[in-house]
Amino acid sequence: MPSALPDQLRRIVGAPHVLTGVECSPYVVEGRTPEAVVFPGSQEEVAAAVTLAAEQGLPVTPWGGGTKMWVGAPPSRIGLVLATKRLDRILEHEPGDLTVTVEAGLTFDRLQAELGQRGQWLSLDPPASDRATIGGILASDASGPRRHLYGTARDLVIGLTVIGADGRAVRGGGKVVKNVAGYDLPKLYIGSFGTLGIVVEATFRLRPRADVDRLVVARFDRLADAGQGARAVLGSDLIPSALELADGEALRRLGLGGAAALLLGLDGIAPQVDWQVDELERLLKSRGVVDQRVLDGDAREETWRALGALGRPGADTVAAVMRWALLPMQTAELMEAGAAAARRHGMGAAMTAHAGVGIVTAVLSGSADPGPVSATLEEWRSLVTAARGHAMVSWAPLAVKERVAVWDAPGPTLRLMRSIKERLDPRGILNPGRFVGGI
Amino acid sequence: MPPLTDARKKSLRREMEALLGKGGVLSDPDELMVYESDGLTLFRALADFVVFPRSAGDVAALVKLANREGIPFVARGAGTGLSGGCLPTEGGLVISLMRMNRVLEVDYDNQIAVVEPGLVNLHLSWAVGPQGFYYAPDPSSQQACTIGGNIANNSGGPHTLKYGVTTNHVLGLEVVLPDGELVWLGGRTRDAQGYDLVGLFVGSEGTFGIATKIVVRILKKPQAVKTVLAVFDQVDQASEAVSAIIARGLVPAAMEMIDQLTIEAVEDAFGCGYPRDAAAALLIELDGLAAGMAAQAERVVQACRDCGARDVREARDEAERALLWKGRKSAFGAYGRVSPAYMVMDGVIPRTKLPYVLGRVNAIAAAHGLRVGNVFHAGDGNLHPNILYDPRKPGEEARVVAAGGEILKVCAEVGGSISGEHGIGLEKADYMPFIFSEADLACMQRVKDAFNPAGLCNPGKIFPTNKACVEVGPAYRPHPIEEKGLAQRF
Repeated sequence: MPSALPDQLRRIVGAPHVLTGVECSPYVVEGRTPEAVVFPGSQEEVAAAVTLAAEQGLPVTPWGGGTKMWVGAPPSRIGLVLATKRLDRILEHEPGDLTVTVEAGLTFDRLQAELGQRGQWLSLDPPASDRATIGGILASDASGPRRHLYGTARDLVIGLTVIGADGRAVRGGGKVVKNVAGYDLPKLYIGSFGTLGIVVEATFRLRPRADVDRLVVARFDRLADAGQGARAVLGSDLIPSALELADGEALRRLGLGGAAALLLGLDGIAPQVDWQVDELERLLKSRGVVDQRVLDGDAREETWRALGALGRPGADTVAAVMRWALLPMQTAELMEAGAAAARRHGMGAAMTAHAGVGIVTAVLSGSADPGPVSATLEEWRSLVTAARGHAMVSWAPLAVKERVAVWDAPGPTLRLMRSIKERLDPRGILNPGRFVGGI
Repeated sequence: MPPLTDARKKSLRREMEALLGKGGVLSDPDELMVYESDGLTLFRALADFVVFPRSAGDVAALVKLANREGIPFVARGAGTGLSGGCLPTEGGLVISLMRMNRVLEVDYDNQIAVVEPGLVNLHLSWAVGPQGFYYAPDPSSQQACTIGGNIANNSGGPHTLKYGVTTNHVLGLEVVLPDGELVWLGGRTRDAQGYDLVGLFVGSEGTFGIATKIVVRILKKPQAVKTVLAVFDQVDQASEAVSAIIARGLVPAAMEMIDQLTIEAVEDAFGCGYPRDAAAALLIELDGLAAGMAAQAERVVQACRDCGARDVREARDEAERALLWKGRKSAFGAYGRVSPAYMVMDGVIPRTKLPYVLGRVNAIAAAHGLRVGNVFHAGDGNLHPNILYDPRKPGEEARVVAAGGEILKVCAEVGGSISGEHGIGLEKADYMPFIFSEADLACMQRVKDAFNPAGLCNPGKIFPTNKACVEVGPAYRPHPIEEKGLAQRF
């Protein structure tokens, strides 16, 4: 009986917390409208909703801040959207232990603001952090420039609770910073895009806030020179928290100008930061640097925010976004080759990279015609694959996704991944179809 | 599995010798005995064969052979593990990786190294040292333990306070899966697509397969290092100093505590310069940029003084620093000076609970009539209470096991963990319900089945042998592993 589902959901979470019919339109995923959207107010309600969906074989799509719902292949089926925004509490923050436990629907900026009042921070800087939730950040393994020094979610999560496909809560890890008891389940769930469980709670290790935090922009005439600059920084005694490489088009959009630049995050106590600013100048002087300036306060924050926003759709000109994983020393060369490929297809491109870890965000702009967009993405993938790296389409319109695979062709490990998926979600109800290999 | 007949053993030996050469297979009981336990000598089990492959192809062939014969197998590095994790099943196959010990490639520009699993941890730092690099995870056994063993146990060490444990330094693994297929998990680049199989594999205690090549990050050596020794008349003062240092916004590279009993053992054995009359000492190391180092050290010194330190001083030179670290890293060996045997525990607690838990640990040991020495990673709350005992005294070993269980229960009660770096192995399998629910364990079992459906790859580890929560009381009961005949006590 089709009307049964909303009523059953209302009994679990209360009538105001279920949307149906046209009310679901803000929760459309890649053109597919869910039958209902449910907003559980507790982990138990999440469990009850998932159990209900499992009984009916209804797919469940987890939804945090909705800032990354366009990542992945279009869903093979959609049924229930499970939104976590009411699970937004900080459950435990013990400053002396440098740990915090939070619910999954909490937005990142709210957590950071709370931690900041006690002199600590979660050393992660994902994009759209004003709306992105902890659960969504973990499910999509979102990160930002500071991963250069502080790592990604996999390095910062020490415990995780998910609701599995059978509606049961599963906890991996714990609440202490060092722990090897049992399998490292948090690693499995981080970056799994909700295909194995719905994150409801997470515990992180924290860091003390730095006394001083600066952003240094060093501009170059050529991207290759900036790449050599990055190499020099990596081989030096400097310990930047971020090391970004940006091409001319990216700099234009950031309002910084120039043909290429390195953007460094330098934080710590004042003498450390001051020494590094001077040392950087000395290091880059003989390497073709044009100028170097130091940003602080709002200018610093706004530049980091804009850098994160570059790789997000929204601006009319963005036609598609791709993310490449390369060796650090390959980034500058591949960025140039990628931009040239875009030009050959009559498109524009803006490129930035986490230069020290080899992650490139390649933003394609210009025509929305799926032909040249798809052709450019395919050529980018060939370039990256030839360099033995990986490429994923992090955003593209549906018409493009119909022509270009979101994920690389999976290798022999797909067998293992499928085997894990089948054992943890035997009926395939958790966010089906969006992940690698159609998982 | 029924025991192999002598004829079958002979024919298998011939088959493996054809693959590995005559020196590549051990099956004589006298020779096998060397491999019957790891660093935790409480448990022993004798394999049918110990084999020494030289390549991934050899390992894959051996694993396929084991599958064909239905023989359980386990990978073994240096055998320095402390939870019985690499013990064979009685009658199984031990695959020693000690002949696969090469550094295959170092890429300094991209700061990665590709190594074989039998490479000794410290030898990697030696190999890349001349270029100004090192491998960060530094277990106290790093002079002997192998990178492959570190992968299995997700090993830590003193400097993981700042730099993280093994899993934070591994990018890719070439792995022989439990069915003999050779695959790469991850690689040289970050953010491999799909599930984080590398993250799962690291710390899976050899139950997901055998790593045959390992891609690790290597780090630039820090520009400057400062080592501070703080001496306290009360253990509580030292515990409070740990929290005080963290509260002042400092993340030292390492922060180790050594108590009086351990100091005496270390001084008897090595004479490293720790004051014998101190109740506890903290060994605190800062590293990073030279700029600002003095100011940071001053913050550390002040925090220790504020907590009542009797004496705080910086190591004068590299020689003194090395001597202090030698004392810390050799402490386990030094217990031989004060006791015929000891059992090392490996619990983790929130560091703010240090004063309370250390008090409980001492009370538990005292209630069992035992002495306990503490030397541990105080900065991340990773306790190593070492229970001293004499195995020749009837009943003493049983009291040690009982006390150990009670200590881990306290760790679990305050929100901690039953293992920070030694792994669960055989030793703590039955304590898993202290911190994990039935649903948690069922999920882990499903993940294990995905990798290891036949269950031949290192069976009997990690998972509790009975469903009920283990009750640890003062009366001795045989360890369930012994009851099941999986291991023997000596």
